[in-house]
Amino acid sequence: MKRISFLLLYSLLFLSSFIQAQTKTYSILIKGGHVIDAKNNINEKMDVAIKDGKIAAIAKNIDPALASQLVTADGMYVTPGLIDLHAHVFAGTDDRGLSGGFSALAPDPYTFRAGVTTVVDCGGAGWASFDKFKSTIIDKSRTRVLSFLNIVGEGMRGDPYEQDMNDMDAQKTAEKALANKDIVVGFKLAHFGAASWVPVEKIVAAGKLANMPVIIDFGAGKLPIEDLFFKYLRPGDIFTHVFTELEIRDPIVDLKTRKLRPFVIPAQKRGIIFDVGFGGGSFNFNQAIPAIKAGFLPNTMGTDLHTGSMNGAMKDQLNVLSIFLSMGMDIPSVISRSTWAPAQAIKREDLGNLSVGAGADVAILSVRNGKFGFRDIAGNRNEGKQKFECEMTLRAGKIVYDLNAIASNPEKSR
Amino acid sequence: MRKISILFLSILFLILADANAQGTAPMYTTVIKGGRVIDAKNNINDLLDVAIKNGKIAKVGKNIDPSLAEQIVNATGMYVTPGLIDVHAHVFWGVQPDHYLSNGNVGVTADGFSFRSGVTTLVDCGGAGYKSFDTFKRNIIDKSQTRVLSFLNIVGEGMRGGEYEQDVSDMDVKLAAKAAIDNKEYVVGFKLAHFTNPDWTPVKKIVAAGNLANMPVIIDFGGGKLPIEDLFFKYLRPGDIYTHVFTELERRDPIVDLQTRTLRPFVIPAQKRGIVFDVGFGGGSFNFNQAIPAIKAGFLPDLLGTDLHTGSMNGAMKDQLNVLSIHLAMGMDIPAVIARSTWAPAKAIKRLELGHLSEGAIADIAILSVRQGKFGFRDIAGNRQEGTQKLECEMTLKDGKVMYDLNAIASNRVKGK
Repeated sequence: MKRISFLLLYSLLFLSSFIQAQTKTYSILIKGGHVIDAKNNINEKMDVAIKDGKIAAIAKNIDPALASQLVTADGMYVTPGLIDLHAHVFAGTDDRGLSGGFSALAPDPYTFRAGVTTVVDCGGAGWASFDKFKSTIIDKSRTRVLSFLNIVGEGMRGDPYEQDMNDMDAQKTAEKALANKDIVVGFKLAHFGAASWVPVEKIVAAGKLANMPVIIDFGAGKLPIEDLFFKYLRPGDIFTHVFTELEIRDPIVDLKTRKLRPFVIPAQKRGIIFDVGFGGGSFNFNQAIPAIKAGFLPNTMGTDLHTGSMNGAMKDQLNVLSIFLSMGMDIPSVISRSTWAPAQAIKREDLGNLSVGAGADVAILSVRNGKFGFRDIAGNRNEGKQKFECEMTLRAGKIVYDLNAIASNPEKSR
Repeated sequence: MRKISILFLSILFLILADANAQGTAPMYTTVIKGGRVIDAKNNINDLLDVAIKNGKIAKVGKNIDPSLAEQIVNATGMYVTPGLIDVHAHVFWGVQPDHYLSNGNVGVTADGFSFRSGVTTLVDCGGAGYKSFDTFKRNIIDKSQTRVLSFLNIVGEGMRGGEYEQDVSDMDVKLAAKAAIDNKEYVVGFKLAHFTNPDWTPVKKIVAAGNLANMPVIIDFGGGKLPIEDLFFKYLRPGDIYTHVFTELERRDPIVDLQTRTLRPFVIPAQKRGIVFDVGFGGGSFNFNQAIPAIKAGFLPDLLGTDLHTGSMNGAMKDQLNVLSIHLAMGMDIPAVIARSTWAPAKAIKRLELGHLSEGAIADIAILSVRQGKFGFRDIAGNRQEGTQKLECEMTLKDGKVMYDLNAIASNRVKGK
C-alpha cells in the first residue's frame, strides 16, 4: 500500500513538473467570448488560441493552462480585426490635402482603439506619390495599410489636380499597382466635377489591366448612377458614399418619393459593392433609413476617416457600426460587413476571418446598452440602444490595445 | 410735441429692443443646461447653467432661460468643466525620418486626441527647440484647431532623440530665451529631457533661460541618477515643473523609496516650496508602486499631463481622461482631478485666461460623464488597478464652438428665431 502511494506521488510529481517545464502551446488564449466569423459561419461562444501570430485553434473550452497569456472575454464579442476599406491615412506636413497633407491622418491612433487592424487608404496616393506614401506611412505603421491607388498620378491633392484628365494614366497606374500588389488592392476615382465618363472609363481600364477592383466616389456632374452601375462598372467594383444626399450627386433614394430607386438592388445583385464611406459629408439618415427599410443593406462599412470626419458625426469605425445598429441592423450583419465582406471586396481573403492558420488580427468588442445619440452629416439625430466599444485589439497575435486591462500578464519563465 | 415724439420713439425703441432680445435674436449662441459645473478658480461645484456668446462665457447661473439661446446642450447628469489643459503632450508630428518627437512620427497630431478627451489646450513638451520652432508653428500650431502651446526645448534641435539631446553645446540659453520671448503667444516655458550624464550643466542652462524669459521650466530628469532633492532645493525655482513624478526606473531617483516604499521626506516640502509636480504618464513613466504610496502619504500631483505620443496612446496611458480615471481609481475625487487638469495647469503655464469659466473667459469647455462600472487600468510595468468610475467626454467646445459631441446632445442651432 505504501509503495503504491509512493508510486502515485512520484508519478504525480513527475507529471506536474513535466507540464510546468513544457513550453506553452499557445501564446495567448481568448476565453469565454462570443465569436463572430462570417467566413466560417461561426456565431457562438468559443475560445480562440493564438500561436506564432496566427490563429492556432478555435474551439469550446480550450484549457487555459496551455497558454502563457489569458484574455478574459466573457460577455464580449470576438471578431476578426476590422477592415476599414475607406480611410485617408496618407498624412504629411505639405500642403497636399489627402495626399501627404494635413487632411489625412497617420493610422495607428485611430485604428487599434476601434478594433481596426487593416485600413485601405482610399486614393490618397497616385502612381507618382505612392513611393512616398510607402516610405512615410505604410512602412512606419503598425496597422496594416493597403492602398486604393488614385487614377490621378498626383493622387488626392485637391483641385486642380483631381480634375486633370491628362494625369489619369491607366497604364502607369496599373503598372504601379502590379509592382506593389502586396499593398495596392485597386483604384480610386474621386471628386471629379465635370459631366464626363472619361475618368470612369480610364479607371476601369486600369482595373482590367491589373485585374483589380475600382472604387468610385461619383463626384459631380450629376451623371446617372444607373448608367455607372450597369454600363461602366464591373461586378466587384465598388460605389462609395452610398448614402450621400448632396445637390451634386445622383442619390439612391429618390428625393421626392423617399423611396429606394428601383435599379439599386438589381445593381447590388449584379455585383456592384456598396460602401458607406461616411466621411464629413457623405452620410444622410434620409437616404440610409429608407434604403434599409426597402431591404437594401450596404456591403461594406468604410469610414472615410480624415480630419474632417474624425471629430464629427462619423468619429470612428465602431461609431459607424453603432449607427447601423441604431437603424435596425444586427450585430453579426455589421461585423461581417467590416470583416469578411471588405476582405472579399479587396480580394484579400487571407484577412477578415479567424480560420486556423489565419493571421491573428482580432478585435474584442463590448456592446454597451443604454441611450445613445448619433448624427448624420446634415445634423439629423438618431437614437440607439447599443454602442460598440473596443475592449482589445490584436494585430498579428500581439496585443496592441487593451482598454480595461483584461489580459493577464504573460508568463515569461519558460 | 417734438419732445414727446422723442420720448415716444425712445419708448418704442426700448420695447422693440426688448422684444428683440426676448423673442427674435437669441442672447446666447449656446446654453449648457443642467450640468454640474466644476470650476476650481471660482470655487464652483454646483448645478449651474452656462451661457456662451461670441466665443466667451457670457453667464454662469441657475436656470438660464433656454429660449435665450440659439442652441441648447442638455448636460443633465454630466459635469461641465473648463476645457482640459494637457501640459505634457508631443504633437510636433511629421514625416522626417529619424526625427523622433521633433517633426517625426513618434509624435501625434493634436486634434485627433484633444477634443474627444475634453482637451482644448495642449502644451507640446519640448518637441521643438529654437531652431525648429518656426516649422512647428507652421506645420502644427497654425493648422490645429486645438490650442497648441510649447515648452521650448533647451536643445536647439529639440527632441530629436539620441545624441542630439546629449549635446550640451546645442543648449543655447540666449537663443532659446529669445525664441521664447519672440513667440510668447505660444511658448510658455522650457523643457529639458532625456539627458543622461550626471552633470548639472543642462539644468543650470535651462533655469538661466527661464530667468531670462521669466518663464517656468519643466524637467524630465533623465538619467545620471543625480539626486532629485538637490534638483528641487538647489536648482529649480518655485513654479518650475518636475515631470514623470511617479516613474520607477533604474536610472532615476524616485520619490518613493524603493526599500521602505514610503514617500521620501523631502517631497512634500519641495511641493510646499513651489515645485510643481506633473504626472507625465507616457509610455514608461507611471508606476502604481510609486503613485499609490505617495498618494497615501498625502502627496497629490499638481498636474495630470499625459505625455501623449505614439508609444503611449495605445498603451496604459491612452488619453487625458484615462489618466484622470486612473487617479480616481487611486482614491482621488472628481473635483481634485478636474482642478489638476484645468486651473492648476493654467497657473503652471502662467496662462490665467485659461482653465476657468469666469464670465468673459474664453469658452473652452468640456462636458464629461462619469460611467459607473468595473474598469481596469494598468501602469507601464503591467500592474493592474481596478476602478469603479471612468470619465467619458460627452462634448468639447473650443472658443464657444462645439468641436465634439459624442451622443448628439446639442440641439440644432436655431438662427434668428
